[in-house]
Amino acid sequence: MALPSKFDKGADQLPRTLRGFGHINRFVDRRDGKFIAKILPGEYYVTNQDEYVATVLGSCVSACIRDKETGLGGMNHFMLPKVGSDEKKGLNGKINDAARYGNFAMEHMINAILKNGGKRENLEVKLTGGGRIIANMTNVGLKNIEFVREYIRTEGLMLVAEELGEIYPRKVLYHPLSGKMKVKRLRALHNNTVLDRETRYMNELEVKPIGGDVELF
Amino acid sequence: MTTILTVDDSTSMRQMVAFTLKQAGFDVVEAADGEEGLQKAKGTNVDVVVTDVNMPKMDGISLVKKLRALPNYKFTPILLLTTEAGADKKQEGKAAGATGWLVKPFNPDQLLSTIKKVIG
Repeated sequence: MALPSKFDKGADQLPRTLRGFGHINRFVDRRDGKFIAKILPGEYYVTNQDEYVATVLGSCVSACIRDKETGLGGMNHFMLPKVGSDEKKGLNGKINDAARYGNFAMEHMINAILKNGGKRENLEVKLTGGGRIIANMTNVGLKNIEFVREYIRTEGLMLVAEELGEIYPRKVLYHPLSGKMKVKRLRALHNNTVLDRETRYMNELEVKPIGGDVELF
Repeated sequence: MTTILTVDDSTSMRQMVAFTLKQAGFDVVEAADGEEGLQKAKGTNVDVVVTDVNMPKMDGISLVKKLRALPNYKFTPILLLTTEAGADKKQEGKAAGATGWLVKPFNPDQLLSTIKKVIG
């Protein structure tokens, strides 16, 4: 018989997800019984249950947002797509692909919180990530940090903590119910998983058009 | 000149939409929720409305219903610009009397060509 895994799926014990989050990989941590939803680049997860949201960040950023009155909240994991120099010039860099995608990544999660009963005036935000994980690469992390800080400022949201920049990849564990965000700076990329995932995500963003469907009734 | 009312509770989204519309030569009136949108629509002659769906105070679909009840806005093009992509919500928008449904991420070219289509 196979030994039980440290991270047994334990699907029968997991709390119900909110609508639209059934696809997110969740499991029970057998060491302490925590329910954990693990998100990948481009994903976000919102919950009203006593569960944690986890991810590993390289140059991507995560916004951990919750309604501080009810504990309903979640975390996203995203980066901005690269912006061509022509596009930057044409639109004064104001509404380029990067800004439009970043807005979408943030608004999508905030809307999920508001739709499920959260109130905009109760939202508190913690930010993390944006590490310069490869020394000789363009500082992608910094662009992500600048965007997310500017977004929080423009939207008038309450920023209560941030753990951003530097050169480290990070392991993040967020508990919306209490608002605790635990960040572990990883000394090194032990393997290429984080980098590979982020590179794949960045390549996807480059080929995917930034725009949704249109339907006239 | 064509006047467009843009309604969104996200300041950054509203700024991007307003910037796009102004660059294309439209007059723009902004509102941060359905209630403010309705007041602004009553106070100005608006030719097109572009509104978000999920907003505090009054959502976009309620705004469409309220506008359609006003004689001035019976036939005015109203576009819903939203992160909502579900068929149910879209059906709700259509039943309320919306002219079209645009799913975010917001695309300036797409928005402008849709506006041009609906104003003929």
